[in-house]
Amino acid sequence: MTTDAFEIPNLTLALPEIWMLGVACLVLVVDLFSGDRDHTPAYWVAQLGLLSAALITVQAQWGLDVTTFDGNYVADAMAVVLKVTVLLLTFLAFAYSRDYLRERGMLRGEFYLLSLFSTLGMMVIISAHSLLVLYLGVELMSLSLYALVAMRRGSPAASEAAMKYFVLGALASGMLLYGMSMLYGATGSLDLAAITDVAAAESRLLLVFGLVFTVVGVAFKFGAVPFHMWVPDVYQGAPTAVTLFIATASKVAAVGLFIRLIGEGLEPLHGDWQNMVLLLAVASILIGNTVALVQTNIKRMLAYSTFNHIGFIFLGFVAGSAEGYGASMFYAVTYSFTVAAAFGVIMLLSRQGFEAENLEDFKGLNERSPLFALVMLLLMVSLTGIPGTVGFYAKWLVIRSVVDAGVMWAAVFAVIGAVVGAFYYLRVVRLCYFDQPEAEGGPQPSGSGGFRFVLAANGLSVLLLGLFPGALVAVCMAAFG
Amino acid sequence: MIEQILFYVFAAVLIFAATMVITARNPVHAALFLVLAFFNSAVLWIIAGAEFLGIVLVLVYVGAVMVLFLFVVMMLDINLARLREGFVRHLYIGVPVAALIVVQMILVLGSGAVDPGALPDATLPIPDPAETGNTTVLGGVLYTVYVYPFELAAVILLVAIIASIMLTLRRREGVKHQDVAQQVRVRKEDRLRMARSFGGSGSTSTGRNDNEHPDR
Amino acid sequence: MLAEYVPILLFIIVGLGLGAVLIVAGFILGPRRPDEEKLSPYECGFEAFEDSRMRFDVRYYLVALLFIIFDLEIAFLFPWAIVLDEVGLFGVAAMGLFLVILLIGFLYEWKKGALEWE
Repeated sequence: MTTDAFEIPNLTLALPEIWMLGVACLVLVVDLFSGDRDHTPAYWVAQLGLLSAALITVQAQWGLDVTTFDGNYVADAMAVVLKVTVLLLTFLAFAYSRDYLRERGMLRGEFYLLSLFSTLGMMVIISAHSLLVLYLGVELMSLSLYALVAMRRGSPAASEAAMKYFVLGALASGMLLYGMSMLYGATGSLDLAAITDVAAAESRLLLVFGLVFTVVGVAFKFGAVPFHMWVPDVYQGAPTAVTLFIATASKVAAVGLFIRLIGEGLEPLHGDWQNMVLLLAVASILIGNTVALVQTNIKRMLAYSTFNHIGFIFLGFVAGSAEGYGASMFYAVTYSFTVAAAFGVIMLLSRQGFEAENLEDFKGLNERSPLFALVMLLLMVSLTGIPGTVGFYAKWLVIRSVVDAGVMWAAVFAVIGAVVGAFYYLRVVRLCYFDQPEAEGGPQPSGSGGFRFVLAANGLSVLLLGLFPGALVAVCMAAFG
Repeated sequence: MIEQILFYVFAAVLIFAATMVITARNPVHAALFLVLAFFNSAVLWIIAGAEFLGIVLVLVYVGAVMVLFLFVVMMLDINLARLREGFVRHLYIGVPVAALIVVQMILVLGSGAVDPGALPDATLPIPDPAETGNTTVLGGVLYTVYVYPFELAAVILLVAIIASIMLTLRRREGVKHQDVAQQVRVRKEDRLRMARSFGGSGSTSTGRNDNEHPDR
Repeated sequence: MLAEYVPILLFIIVGLGLGAVLIVAGFILGPRRPDEEKLSPYECGFEAFEDSRMRFDVRYYLVALLFIIFDLEIAFLFPWAIVLDEVGLFGVAAMGLFLVILLIGFLYEWKKGALEWE
């Protein structure tokens, strides 16, 4: 029997996932028995659990490159960077959304629970080393997200968004699974390392077929053009707290999915997927910029401008080199922290019965709250990619990797895209600083001291990363060194 | 030989049933055709040697998932005529797209670049099913080599429990029900009130026992 | 291997055959003397004027969903029971964790009142 050859897996390697599972179950039990209307115990257990999970990840996996669970699980530096990012983003999402959800009567224990399970799914994706685990991770992440989008049961917009997300997400999962089954058929193995070996040894059309379907599936999960139809509706229909989580953490997990499955797993087929990825990148930048220009709803604007950034992340993949992946990872990490803060400001300005959703609501923010107007300025300038901000370094690294790969025209296109992006990002800055507020004074910043503190810290971290990007760049590059 | 005949018979029925699922006018009929499709694919799996999976397919999909489908169909109260409209309306886009994909697939596959015979001998992670039996073989690896995906499956099921309860469970207002514990705990002072009449008739009336509104 | 399924095939044939025979026998032997009143849906009262299908409560859906989840759990138990002596203590622990995770789900279900019908 095979059990003779079976090795007891090294559980300490997989400690981050085990810890997160424990935290999620603990939150479930605590919330069931606490009876607190504001779910305060669940909140604190979840936040402490997330922070400790980040520490445990660094402690247990930094500097390693080993697999366990019979090749199903891999612990390496890339996993550490992405997992810590995802955990911190979940932490921010919880911190920002607590007041927001409570005021709207949507603060339920299930929000924390499903988000934690979704985070666990993302960690599973990031550390997956076989097709089966990748797929299960994607499903764990997506299932929780579908339910989170539908959380606001009474709202038709939320139900519609959840329905679209679910149907298109299921379609994407089907594509991914179909592609994976072809890869398995062509190579006879679920293990990504074994698939790489077979793919390197001989080229086969069936592998390319599988590759096409997996690229489509991954692009769906990213929301890259032309597989982007669900993104604006989901961003607008979901509660802002959930939008924040989907817009940031799930994108970081998708970077992990791409690098594990296509970047590393199908590395020998680089020549075949390079042009597909290039096409996705260019289409995303084009569509994202064009449509974001005319949006009046800031959540929709952020959704469309996401395509622009997804385009940049894909451009980093194009080179297929360590520098390219490092650049994409740096881009995804910094972008998600910047956008998290932007959503934080939206939620700060929202109050009971009022959503600060329209760009008009940001008029004259400087007079009402100079600190958060400054944060907004910083975020928008960084998203634009003006030199001196972290967004600039991210774009620069990506474009450099594209130039190294010899795709000059794409680099030029990306720069033009960034310039167009400046228009709609800086429009928000103009509204905050130079426009007079509406007659009734516009929305006032609300929120508790802790919320404001975390948001200010998040904004400050974006500033500091812009001034001293070296350390994070080094970490991201070391992950693929 | 006989296996091949069986395969083609069941595969043909499967394709027929699958076509009927998407073309049947009545959603209940579509669901029943789906049952037929599940049965036939289960037989195909059994022919291929995956007995356990075939039986689980019948147990879980036919036994449970289809019941769910029928519930959903009944819950939605679908208007049949309107359901039909969209199908015909989008047909003129759908058919060319489908035809194009089929032609492309034929061009690629017909070029001879994909040779089914050249596929690797699947390096099965499990011993030959003919010797030990499918279920045993599956069990041998599921709880050891694939223990990590196995536990993930449990977590996904847990998420399904949480999500389905969160999305469908709602407290109903104004539902009358009996709380035995509260009935037992009740004390005389809660329910009984002595009322003294100040009128001239001199009659004393006892408080009335009102179960539903003790504080009236 | 397919030969093992011959008893099942026989069973299906006998079952279908018996059912068919009984229906045909009833059809041939039974007396049939229909009249108009006998054939109408209701001998007294109105003819039906609405669709007989009606909406189901969403609670049935929840019950069916919870059933599926635990049905799947059972499906995982079958192979486990067969190989129990081969997978050793590790296999027992693996199933233990699996069951504990679902037990937490059950606890949630119970405490939330999803099992009550009100």
